[in-house]
Amino acid sequence: MSEDDGWGRVAGREAYGKLIDFVETHPGSLVFRVSLAGVHRIDISFASETIVELARRHRGRKGFCFVDLADADQKENWAAAAQRAAQPIMSWDERGKSVTLGLEPSQGNAEAFRFALARPETRAAEYAASAKDVSITNASTKFKQLWEQGFLLRREAAAESGGVEYVYVRIK
Amino acid sequence: MHQTLIELSPRWTNASGLEDTLRSAPSAHLSASSEVRFHVPKGCHLMTDAAVRLLSLMNQLDHSTRRVLVEFDEDESGVLGYLNRIGFFESLSPDVEVLPKRPIFSAAARYRGRNPSLVEIERIDRKRRDSTLQNRLTMAITRACTQRSDIQELQGAAWTILAELIDNVFSHSKTPLDGFAALQVYPKGNCLKVAVSDSGLGMLETLRPALRSEAPRLATLSDIDLLVEVFKRGLSRHGAGRGCGLKGCADKAIKFRADLDVRLPQVRVLLVPGKDGYRPNTAFCYSGLPLIWGTHICFTLQLD
Repeated sequence: MSEDDGWGRVAGREAYGKLIDFVETHPGSLVFRVSLAGVHRIDISFASETIVELARRHRGRKGFCFVDLADADQKENWAAAAQRAAQPIMSWDERGKSVTLGLEPSQGNAEAFRFALARPETRAAEYAASAKDVSITNASTKFKQLWEQGFLLRREAAAESGGVEYVYVRIK
Repeated sequence: MHQTLIELSPRWTNASGLEDTLRSAPSAHLSASSEVRFHVPKGCHLMTDAAVRLLSLMNQLDHSTRRVLVEFDEDESGVLGYLNRIGFFESLSPDVEVLPKRPIFSAAARYRGRNPSLVEIERIDRKRRDSTLQNRLTMAITRACTQRSDIQELQGAAWTILAELIDNVFSHSKTPLDGFAALQVYPKGNCLKVAVSDSGLGMLETLRPALRSEAPRLATLSDIDLLVEVFKRGLSRHGAGRGCGLKGCADKAIKFRADLDVRLPQVRVLLVPGKDGYRPNTAFCYSGLPLIWGTHICFTLQLD
């Protein structure tokens, strides 16, 4: 952005070009923390063309979250754009608390999501062990849905049994 | 040579009043006449939404090679003086004939920015994006609405609404003609009006072709119903993930109980706050209107 306001689709598309270049030059990075310090205002079209589009395009493979997002109006605009794209984006404050902008997890997956957010990474077996009446298969399904919808990232790891299991990673 | 006469009313005329006038005359765009004459009688006071819309219409008619005349019964002590002050003649095509005569000096050029209750008509030139326009309009709204308890929230929301509307002119207006924006505070009416107008195809003309393939059910809606859907649900020719700009505007504007007037080439909808979001005020919704190219939007906000 050449100014501290992000205005309109045209400026959004220009900014998107720079953002995607940055992401592609950091192929090893899974999570990108986007600081909004110094960003005065953005409108919904700009939001839609930039980080929301980036998060949607990389859903499940790379994660994007906000830090330094305090302005209520700006938060509302990011949320409106993310909602429209059915994309969740986390915003983290300096105390480590998060809010989800845009798509919210379904009622059935909300608890599993809260569990995953509370730790850097987790496995279905860990959630199943801590939750009441949740089997490993059930926990696995919930995490898979959260990953597909863009709430979490995942990577493959060796299971104790010798097979492969997924480790789910929060976007922070 | 056949002439179309459009007779304005000798009273305060807002966008609704202008529509009444236009509906009572032959459509200037569609008639075979090569000359269109606007008569502005004594006692006619054009409000900013009507003035901006009329400005676009006159420029469009001029652009379509018609001879356009606008005849005022009063001198600069009347509406001619007001229009000069808000920059109407600066933006009116020089080929439009003003009778008895076009003001020699532009009062808008001389006093621009000095009245906190007014943001003079600004051109929205598609080739030159002026990112300060929405800031100036927002500042004027903030100054006018200091009595409102929600002024802080309103400031942020107003910027977003204006940014989206002005950006929309760039997205939908495929025309060499400029768009316009203006703001006027009406203390006696306890309201302010922000009008944004362009002379493009109009958003439904660009939206409908995309809907036919992507959402055939919506494509069958009437213009009025489809327009309401654009603001309530968000629809876009660019696909399902887009189209949130105008819906976002409406979601913000309704928090501040703003009325929203939308005029497209042949349809007009007045959206008023209801229990579940905006609802059309059917008394002011028309289809089959006399043609004015473009998208013309006006927000009316209470001052306190």
